[in-house]
Amino acid sequence: MEIAYYPGCSLKQSSALYDLQSRRIFSELGVALKEIEDWNCCGATSAGKVDDFLAMAMPARNIGIAEAAGYQEIVIPCSACYSRTLVAQQRLADDARLKAEVNTGFAKKMNGGIKVSSILEVLIARIEAGALKPKLRRKFRRLKPVCYYGCMQTRFPYTVPVPDDVENPQGMETVLGALGVKAIDWNHKTFCCGASAAVNDPETSLNLMGRIMTEAIDRGANCFVATCPMCQLNLDAHQDAFCRRIGIEERLPVFFITEVIGAAMGISPESLQVDRHFIDGTTLLKELDGDER
Amino acid sequence: MTGPGLEFTPESAKPFLQEVMERSGQKLTACYQCRRCAAGCTVGDETGFFTPNILIRNVILGDRETALSNPLVWKCVSCYTCGTRCPNDIQTARITETLKKMAKEAHIDPLQPKVAAFHDSFLESGLRWGRVNEMELMGVYECRNILRDARDGNYDAIIDELKGQARLGMAMFKLKRMHTGFMMAKGRKEIKALYKKAKQRRQAPAGMNP
Ligand code: SF4
Ligand code: SF4
Repeated sequence: MEIAYYPGCSLKQSSALYDLQSRRIFSELGVALKEIEDWNCCGATSAGKVDDFLAMAMPARNIGIAEAAGYQEIVIPCSACYSRTLVAQQRLADDARLKAEVNTGFAKKMNGGIKVSSILEVLIARIEAGALKPKLRRKFRRLKPVCYYGCMQTRFPYTVPVPDDVENPQGMETVLGALGVKAIDWNHKTFCCGASAAVNDPETSLNLMGRIMTEAIDRGANCFVATCPMCQLNLDAHQDAFCRRIGIEERLPVFFITEVIGAAMGISPESLQVDRHFIDGTTLLKELDGDER
Repeated sequence: MTGPGLEFTPESAKPFLQEVMERSGQKLTACYQCRRCAAGCTVGDETGFFTPNILIRNVILGDRETALSNPLVWKCVSCYTCGTRCPNDIQTARITETLKKMAKEAHIDPLQPKVAAFHDSFLESGLRWGRVNEMELMGVYECRNILRDARDGNYDAIIDELKGQARLGMAMFKLKRMHTGFMMAKGRKEIKALYKKAKQRRQAPAGMNP
């Protein structure tokens, strides 16, 4: 099975490990990710703040490319890219004039009929098709994760078809459940980490992340699991800073969902590049290595 | 307890409200001040509780000055929590995004200059090459900050900022999370040409639109 794949800028740079892991995990699950040709930046959250036309046109071009290549579905692991693309497709479907206007500029016109999927949707579909079970080698009984969704995976600035509950999503819990891991319930799963505020307004962002960390610790979690590269990088790279501010001694690894799945499949943390985290996650995964199925 | 009297001049309030509603796509007049948005606003603590409902009331009353320059416009993290919960589907993030643009057009200095510098740099970078190169983005963004701080004589701020970025940059480099190659998309030409056309159309006098 082949589906179109939009990595976006961060999966090609600071979160290249997520790109590698996604390709590996999906190939284990029988899905070949086909990176669309000559894709461009989706504009992320900045486009909406600077120019609305670009916020529509940038993702629209990528949709056109995927459609022209004959794909029915495109998977977008980065939450920001996923949100921008899903919103652009819906808004242009609702505004024929704007759609015609952006299409005048594209070699590959966008139609708007492709299914835009988050990484969780595709994972859950493969799990339901029975592709995961035969691949599992380990059971992480002592892994106590809190699932962190952030904003862009669940809430949208425009009415779009959403696959999960907005206030209390369950997609990651479902995937972890299929691995035999029970996630801890908590309140901050969709609370914002500040996203780019970590760069341009650290005061705000560190406060927000401090609140996320405080509850994770209070609930007895021993790691975070995330799907968004921005959330992962923020909670990981700035963890020392926000923990110091509020006097938290503990540190929690921030895993991509693909890392937990990969580890459960028996893939070594090194070959998944878990050693590229700021907060060490390799040790925890190795400690749990004894949990044979 | 008494507060300052609210002033309302419909003639000046209406065009401003209309512009914000049109550009943000949000029906501000539907707001009935239930404050559900206020209860959940992520940055409530950071804005001194200048909450979405207050911003909306300011726009409706035509208080242009406050609406274009207040903590919420610059601290809002576009998390869409308020809009998801609003019984009238009002997305305040779209309003703060619109007010940022209007403030820029009116040459009002942003309360959080780094926020403005970041988003401008990001979009420029994405547009220039078709993809955002993180190293270039951070370079352009920091240049903007340095120029501004130098103009204002904030030399300590420049040093602090560079120290912080250098520390993070080194850590990222060690962990191989810094990408040194350069990315481009050929299709950037298509988007640039479209953007130019759209801009010209917007600037054309009314009646000239096709
Ligand atoms: S939740 Fe909606 S209707 Fe209620 S105060 Fe906020 S913006 Fe107004
Ligand atoms: S979108 Fe902005 S205004 Fe609304 S809850 Fe989030 S931070 Fe507050």
